[in-house]
Amino acid sequence: MRVADINLQAASNKAALQKIKSMGLPTPKTEHYRYFGIKPIFDKEYTLVTPTPAKKEIADHIEIVDGVVTKAPRNLYIEYAKSTKIDDSHYDQVYYLSHLLVPHTITIEIEEDSDITIIHKFTQNGALLPYRIHFVIKPNTHVQITEDEFILAQNALYLYGYDIDIQKDASCKLVQNRVSNFDEFALIASHSIRCETNATFELFTFDFGNAKTLHNYHIQLGEHAQCDANHVIFAKESARLGNTFHIENRGKESKTSQLSRNIIKDAARGIFDGLLIVKNPAKYSAIYQDSKTILLNDGAYMVSKPQMEIYTEFISEATHGSTTGHLDQEALFYLRQRGIDKRQAKEMLVLSFLNEIFEKLGDEKIKEEFIKLYEEQQ
Amino acid sequence: MSTMMKIDNLHAKIGEKEILKGIDLELFKGKVHAVMGPNGAGKSTLSKAIVGHPDVEVTEGKILYKDKNIVDLEPEERALEGIFMSFQHPVEIPGVNNAYFLRTALNAKRKHEGLKPLNAAEFLRLLKEKIKELGMKEEMIHRSLNEGFSGGEKKLNEILQMEILEPDFVILDEIDSGLDIDALKKVSEAINNMRDSNRTFMIITHYRKILDYIEPDYVHVLKSGKVLRTGGIEIVDALEKEGYKIFGEE
Repeated sequence: MRVADINLQAASNKAALQKIKSMGLPTPKTEHYRYFGIKPIFDKEYTLVTPTPAKKEIADHIEIVDGVVTKAPRNLYIEYAKSTKIDDSHYDQVYYLSHLLVPHTITIEIEEDSDITIIHKFTQNGALLPYRIHFVIKPNTHVQITEDEFILAQNALYLYGYDIDIQKDASCKLVQNRVSNFDEFALIASHSIRCETNATFELFTFDFGNAKTLHNYHIQLGEHAQCDANHVIFAKESARLGNTFHIENRGKESKTSQLSRNIIKDAARGIFDGLLIVKNPAKYSAIYQDSKTILLNDGAYMVSKPQMEIYTEFISEATHGSTTGHLDQEALFYLRQRGIDKRQAKEMLVLSFLNEIFEKLGDEKIKEEFIKLYEEQQ
Repeated sequence: MSTMMKIDNLHAKIGEKEILKGIDLELFKGKVHAVMGPNGAGKSTLSKAIVGHPDVEVTEGKILYKDKNIVDLEPEERALEGIFMSFQHPVEIPGVNNAYFLRTALNAKRKHEGLKPLNAAEFLRLLKEKIKELGMKEEMIHRSLNEGFSGGEKKLNEILQMEILEPDFVILDEIDSGLDIDALKKVSEAINNMRDSNRTFMIITHYRKILDYIEPDYVHVLKSGKVLRTGGIEIVDALEKEGYKIFGEE
């Protein structure tokens, strides 16, 4: 079936159903899908697959294969809960669609400081496969979630996403490594993150490869809450790799900082569409946004849309910028003049370009993995 | 006296504009050659042609380096053969650690020469020794390549690279620009220490001052893309008094 042919009437999540009825499905004219190429993805024939809970093995990480938790640490309480509570102000229709299609949400409550690794595997050819994960991070708890996605399916459309509640004084660092080497694979992930008073959300996303993937994030910040979002896209061949955002500073003295660094080659397209919103009550908030792109050849294309909407007169700081260009040829020549071959010199410059994000991440292992991936993708 | 580089009827253009219009120049092993000339004479284009800068297209002629025409070699191939240029404006590259960059460059050269690469500890010892000799701050080891360096620090960093890489043919493109007198003395001293019977220096400059510290064996005057005169230090004296007009029009 095509996405438009799905019968949603039987869905139990009435709030989500109401939303999708009023918003409709996304079309090529929907702003955050405008550059993604949604029509050919939605027009394809898929088999709707609903994940069914299965027995889990004990492991040191969470493994989710086609929406089913197959492995998990012993001390982590994971349940499949009915999807009822939703973000009622998400801008993305697919957020509601994925909530409608999943009978259960993988729900994980965290009450102790934790370091969690999640491996997602997408394996079913031809599937339309929805699943959702709901993290509840209890007050004053600090969590790092590192996730790796492994795309092994062709002609498939996966709809997954996180709902993350970061409660008072808690923090969550989410590191998403997304590698794709199947150009006939599509993923639309729609996330909702709510930061309560004095909560912190750090996001690092690394997108590589040639698939069609779009992540849509709705992030809401309460009083004194902070969001630090950082993104790297390395797109090649005919990829469409993108991230869109609505980040809402809702509480006073909340802060948002967003960095996007993109390297685009071949006929690939990268998308960074970020809207930072400061609501009227969010007095003395600060927002910062910076997007930079290197196009490695003439056919490469980047859509970069840093945007701000400010509804208060009292704002501490609001700056944004966007640049797109080619690799610095003088810097490249400088390195080559010292005997460093062109390929290695380019790699050094690419790493230099991404350095600000790697410095913030402070994880040499991920940096090394990136270098390996970058070398493999050359 | 043996020849290090022989430039023969070199024509080169940048974009559609021909800048070098038949350069003939012989540069000898163990000697210091100063290249002077008014603005637009082609000095920097000549140095770029020698190192293989992609902006410069050689349209005619040869650059024979150690008897081999290098015109078609890639910039890194020329560098590995021992050609080094100290840049007039060294590029800042944030995120590329100075020590990492230098070790990568040195090990590329060592590999080319069939030598074992230096490991991090071995390289650090060498680097610290050179930094001390040059009177540089040790903190520059950990800084990004040229990022936030003062003009003097950038030029000293170029000299440090030269000392580490030990090239055979060194082009110093306006190494004296933007240096105060103390920094100029320090850079000159380091260059003089590198002088030996197997190394050739080509110093491109507008000013006599650096030539007071680094005495050239030859002075070449370029104008309108050609070598107008070759001689000794007396040429510089004449230029000081009369300017380039003493050489008349092309």
